[in-house]
Amino acid sequence: MKKYIILVTLNFLFTYQTIAAVTGCQEGNCDNGFGKWVYTDKTIYEGEWVGTKKHGQGTETWPNGYIYKGEFENSFWSGQGVLIFPDGSTYNGEWANGFMNGKGTFTWADGKEKTGIWKNGQLQE
Amino acid sequence: MEKWPVARIVEIMLQDKYSSKLKELPEPARQLVGLVVVTIVVILSFAIFNIFFGHDKDLTAKMKREEEKIAEKRKLSDLLSNLPTGILVTYDGTNGFKLSDELYEKVCNATKLITQRTIMGANLINLKAYQIYTGNGNQVKETFVKWDNENKKCVAGYVLKGTIEGKEETITVSGDALSFFSTGIDTRVYFIKNF
Repeated sequence: MKKYIILVTLNFLFTYQTIAAVTGCQEGNCDNGFGKWVYTDKTIYEGEWVGTKKHGQGTETWPNGYIYKGEFENSFWSGQGVLIFPDGSTYNGEWANGFMNGKGTFTWADGKEKTGIWKNGQLQE
Repeated sequence: MEKWPVARIVEIMLQDKYSSKLKELPEPARQLVGLVVVTIVVILSFAIFNIFFGHDKDLTAKMKREEEKIAEKRKLSDLLSNLPTGILVTYDGTNGFKLSDELYEKVCNATKLITQRTIMGANLINLKAYQIYTGNGNQVKETFVKWDNENKKCVAGYVLKGTIEGKEETITVSGDALSFFSTGIDTRVYFIKNF
């Protein structure tokens, strides 16, 4: 029984160490400055940090292929930015609170385009 | 008139005629006859038991479900052995493994799970879904992945339930499942195109 407990504890510590080694702040300063943060689901943010929040210019890459390049505010996509969807579709324009808000152009993977004013992810026709 | 004519006939047959004939047979033949009789008795016993206990609908349904599960597992295992682990896509221009039309349908039918980032991606253009999802602690009530045979595409989606401004809301978000992730054990929807 003692052996079993020791084995489980060692296994837990090893797993924790391994996860900790590949996640979190990997490069630079992720409090205030420029740094690279890797999340447990392999999402990567590389860019500016202010008070441990993503703030300023940066790039966020999701493991399933979404890539946002642009401005961040309090960790939200806010300001000017480009979102590339996994299939190659893009939205280039203004963002607020993590949504397409303001003037922007959506380009579908087949080349079709729509430009206009967007509100919370929807084009205002 | 005798009271039990049939029983009497059997008795005569066994005692007077057949039993004596049986005794005259060589030992191996007698053993063979015994074996045949025992086999018939066993089969008849099971047939009788089956009449009384063999029509349990629940048991039959359960067995059928189990068989289907095993068949499904085998199908999935066969499929996964032919797939690389990692991202599987239905479109060009990425490093992911490009699925053929045939594999796309197979992967779609074998997929049950939808990853969290997939849901977050689809919520990017659906404010209500985003609000419910973040408000209820990222809980998903139901997910579905099904092959649309008419349009030859995989449709995936999820149902979210939660409260927005004190009002109970339920919303279904769905779209084309265009990419998957193969873990080597299962496959998961990786991108839902809902725009």
